[in-house]
Amino acid sequence: MKALKLLLLPYMAAFVAAAFLWPAPAEGFIGESSRIVFFHVPCAWTATLAFVVAAAYSVAYLARRNPRADAVAHAAVRLGLLFAVLALVTGSVFARIMWGSFWNWDPRQSSFLLLLFLYAAYLFLRAAIDDPERRARIGAAYAVFAAILMPFLVFVVPRVTESLHPQTIINPEGKILMDSPTKVVFFAGLAGFTAIFLWLLELESRLERLAAGAPAPSGNGNLPRRPGV
Amino acid sequence: MSGATARELGFFPRAWAVCAKDAAQELRRRVAAASLFFFAATALALVSFAIGPFGVPEEARAAVNGALLWIILFFSAATGLPRAFVREEEAGTGIALRKLAPGIVVVAGKALFNFLLFLAIAVLSVPAFALLLEWRIGSPVALAGVVLLAGWGLSLVSTFLSALVARAGQRQVLFVVVSFPLVIPLLLPAIAATIEASRGDIAWRELRVLAAYDGAATSAAYLLAAVAWED
Repeated sequence: MKALKLLLLPYMAAFVAAAFLWPAPAEGFIGESSRIVFFHVPCAWTATLAFVVAAAYSVAYLARRNPRADAVAHAAVRLGLLFAVLALVTGSVFARIMWGSFWNWDPRQSSFLLLLFLYAAYLFLRAAIDDPERRARIGAAYAVFAAILMPFLVFVVPRVTESLHPQTIINPEGKILMDSPTKVVFFAGLAGFTAIFLWLLELESRLERLAAGAPAPSGNGNLPRRPGV
Repeated sequence: MSGATARELGFFPRAWAVCAKDAAQELRRRVAAASLFFFAATALALVSFAIGPFGVPEEARAAVNGALLWIILFFSAATGLPRAFVREEEAGTGIALRKLAPGIVVVAGKALFNFLLFLAIAVLSVPAFALLLEWRIGSPVALAGVVLLAGWGLSLVSTFLSALVARAGQRQVLFVVVSFPLVIPLLLPAIAATIEASRGDIAWRELRVLAAYDGAATSAAYLLAAVAWED
């Protein structure tokens, strides 16, 4: 696991270089603006993944009431918000180049901003509850409830309203409309950002438990596990 | 209703008993229920005074009126819906209610009460809005369907979130923060379907989205009600 973490740095360096140098810019986009897809989509994907992870660990918390699961869910939401902000910033830069304005109230832009509000509210909710057990329980219930309604915000609303946003990876044809070099770099980016998220999640969860006064698990690099599982 | 009697009843009679208790409480206070309707009336008067029946060009009237109607309905309802659980905690009756009925029954009863409250606001506001703004609704049946579907989703989500924030600090502000992003996916198709209804069309796609949202929210609330209302 440690070797994989060490490999992540040269892997991401190679990915960034490839993103800027290897595939030709996509047709129909101004200048080199299409290259932002290699960073924007992985950020959006990682944010969504983080919120799904938060929901999964929230379910685990509600099932077993293990504070470690709550710590991971809380860390996943914080990281999800970080990646959501990065997705919004990169999206806004693309919007400025393509449509002349950083913010266009495009349904996809707006729904992603609301997704950010949805999970920022999770942090507000937790901060407003003093009792740690109740905070974890209410936070977990909100995270699961939000995750069940999240698809309406991310997938349904942007598809029932007109959007300027280019066709997404999940398109009506069910085909990935990219040439081979673009596809390779794009999926390498998805894998790299996912790996960074998992590493950060492990570090954040460990820090959260240390802050709460619980002993951190031995440094085997795995995500926290319940004792005896 | 004694504790033993309450526990012997089925799910729906018990949920209905919770709904009836909330209705009786609201009617006893009067000021609380009346303030909701007064808020709706004030908002209607403000909109009517500001733009009047001819303040918006004919071609934009359906879109503007559709959005304004839901703004009035949402903010009128938002003054009353969050009180479902907060009221129990403030009155100190939450402990007794927890002993009498499981979380799912309490959430269902309170969601039902909130739904009826929302419908009461809508039944008074929509005709008054149409009358004051000279707004001809092409398909009243389609509009009724939108109000029913969006009203249930709004009531249920508000009730569930009210249970979550009931024992948190700054709960009134917190309710707005947590509810806003969750009800937007409900309000956008509701506004779109209302615009279509005013033109005499039925927006099946938006109605399906509303029905799906209601189904997802109801299932989620059913699964999590016990956790939300746990002591």
